[in-house]
Amino acid sequence: MKVAYFSPMPPERTGVADYSALLLPALGRKLDLEVARRGRRRASRAADVALYHVGNNPDSHGWIVDALRHSPARRPRVVVLHDFVLHHLVAGVTVGRRDGHGYLDAMEREHGVVGRLLAHGVLDKRIPPLWESRPEEFPLAGFVLQHATGLIVHSRTVRALALSAGFEGPIWVVPHPAWPVPAVDPELVATGPTIGCFGVVNSSKRIPELLRAFAGLRERHPAATLLLVGPTSPGFDLDRRLQRLGLADDGLVRESWVDEQRLWALMAGVDVCVNLRHPTMGETSGSVIRSLSLGKPLVVSDVGWFSELPGDVAVKVPVDGREVETLEAALELLLAREDVRSTMGTAAAALARREHDLDRVADLYAGALEQAVGGRAVGDAVVREVSEAAADVGISPKAAEAGEIARRLAEVELG
Amino acid sequence: MRVAVVRPQVPFARGGAEIFTDRLVDELRARGHEADLVSIPFKWYPGTRVLTQAFMWRLLDLEEADGKPIDLVVATKFPSYLVRHRNKRVWLVHQFRQAYELDRTELGQFGDSPEDRAVRRKIQDLDRLALGEAKRLFSTSRNVADRLERSTGLASEVLPHPPQELAYRCEGYGDFVLSVNRLDRAKRIDLLLEAAALDPALEVVVVGDGPDRPRLEALARDRGLNGRARFAGRVGDEELAELYGRCLAVFYAPVDEDFGMVPFEAFLSEKPVLTTTDAGGPLEIVTDGRTGLVVAPEAREVANATGWLRAHRDEAATFGRAGREIAAEVTWERALGKLLA
Repeated sequence: MKVAYFSPMPPERTGVADYSALLLPALGRKLDLEVARRGRRRASRAADVALYHVGNNPDSHGWIVDALRHSPARRPRVVVLHDFVLHHLVAGVTVGRRDGHGYLDAMEREHGVVGRLLAHGVLDKRIPPLWESRPEEFPLAGFVLQHATGLIVHSRTVRALALSAGFEGPIWVVPHPAWPVPAVDPELVATGPTIGCFGVVNSSKRIPELLRAFAGLRERHPAATLLLVGPTSPGFDLDRRLQRLGLADDGLVRESWVDEQRLWALMAGVDVCVNLRHPTMGETSGSVIRSLSLGKPLVVSDVGWFSELPGDVAVKVPVDGREVETLEAALELLLAREDVRSTMGTAAAALARREHDLDRVADLYAGALEQAVGGRAVGDAVVREVSEAAADVGISPKAAEAGEIARRLAEVELG
Repeated sequence: MRVAVVRPQVPFARGGAEIFTDRLVDELRARGHEADLVSIPFKWYPGTRVLTQAFMWRLLDLEEADGKPIDLVVATKFPSYLVRHRNKRVWLVHQFRQAYELDRTELGQFGDSPEDRAVRRKIQDLDRLALGEAKRLFSTSRNVADRLERSTGLASEVLPHPPQELAYRCEGYGDFVLSVNRLDRAKRIDLLLEAAALDPALEVVVVGDGPDRPRLEALARDRGLNGRARFAGRVGDEELAELYGRCLAVFYAPVDEDFGMVPFEAFLSEKPVLTTTDAGGPLEIVTDGRTGLVVAPEAREVANATGWLRAHRDEAATFGRAGREIAAEVTWERALGKLLA
């Protein structure tokens, strides 16, 4: 089966480019792949199905959405939805291309007259851009979903969101694949217990809450260190926050962008990994996947995909009025209890092997694509045979029994 | 407790799964449970028939029978585990292997058409869904458990079950090697016949029937095995126990078998088992040089192994006795204790 594959690819520095670089070799052993060059709008005529990786970044994914919108209707189109909230992407391919009407239409289509009025407010600069201020309230995923015949998502959360957005095609939940753990020596940044947080440093990663919790923890564990690895978002004043909490000179180790090898080494050297999030755009976290592979105990926010992690690998912190206290207590527990860290780490590594194994993920992709191509004919054949058998014994389509049969078919996703 | 044991039934065929489930019902009854077998015919071809046949299980209502609740449903193999029940436990004999490791082998059934590929994937989806619903998940062997985990991500507890009840005994170590199997290609009885063609001293008794029998009999004729390869067909319990009791060793080398009760039956008769490195489940109990011989799946290797056993009957007996100790550990008492816990 031939698959036209649309994705950002290295050397682009995006999570989705890294993802595809990891997935492609394994998927290529199962399917005949044709990777589209950046900017290409049409898939090869020979392709049986086209696969589009879509995330929220318009620079990386704008051309992919263009290709999706121009794809011929006869070919199945499967979208890998890396984020559910696509407002930034939609703004980029409309407002960013001087297509204000496109943005107005997208907002009206998904959020009615109120949406259109708000969009006018944005275009007239009367209100701040919604993709920066309130994207999660206006995800605009329908802009992409309307062109897809099937979806691949990484979490049950996004599956539920897509269903509630009215998507009626098949949705396959395929876990994020795990990278093979490279042979690295753990890099220890401190002699005492170390908490690591890897990723962009900003408010939506709950860095302010993490810093406050850590400052509280340091009062009882003065030898503890917080390692923050990742670039700081523009406008996020980390230094001022550190000074205010008394962490500017002690207790915090800061690394900005680091290469892959060093990332693994630093992560391998910490005792606990923290990965918080709010609001969530429906995304998964490559950093969490790496940490699972390394068998590190995790502390995450109890939101979105992170909530779906099993309780034996991650302590989940609700995003509520007591978030900082809960976070501090979780870190306290993990620093104090080596046995808990060890048990959680073992479970984390087992989860990475079982659920996120690269070959397994590639096989789930192949399964989704094979069903995208042949599944409809199969579903129709099953429904036809069941319907005929029901009709043979006098069950009319409107009978209660027919409703029961339809429910059972839907339950096992056969109808 | 009211227990429904569910299994698909291929009309006119009877194999290990049927023996196992019949016995399971008997053992449950013997312990005071009200147990019954629920079965639906299964036909897996052509085209999408495998899915519609599987779907029939989904329409069953086994929550209660005759006004009394059914407390537990034990499902065993595809597609019976599609059944709905609040307390569904699966004791997995095997999945629909054509959709997994047998795909694109000579034992597979799905071609390269988009519809065939999609049917295969749909079966995998059904497995994930239906097995994922189970309150407890057991596999009859490590091999089955590993396949399940690889294909669905679902972990199961390995829970072997004892073989059929026969008057097992050892009456010495005779001159013939015994094969007990349904006669189909996956059981690879031709390996043993080819070995007999290479070793003029090797005598073979083949017990069982099945679609591969005409080919195997023709092979025996072509290789001039007159009188040295006897096709006994289906035999009664007493005759089977007697054959186990008198043979030199038991040959059992299917391709990547799920579990296979034959090695346990051989062991209970104190006989060593000759198997191959790619046999799957049997390798969990057949250890080379301890409870039998494990060789490459080649006729010459099989011939050498049977020759060695003929020349080393004391060692064959030692292997058989070591196997008996392993088989004796697997009891219904222990298995049901876990299943019903």
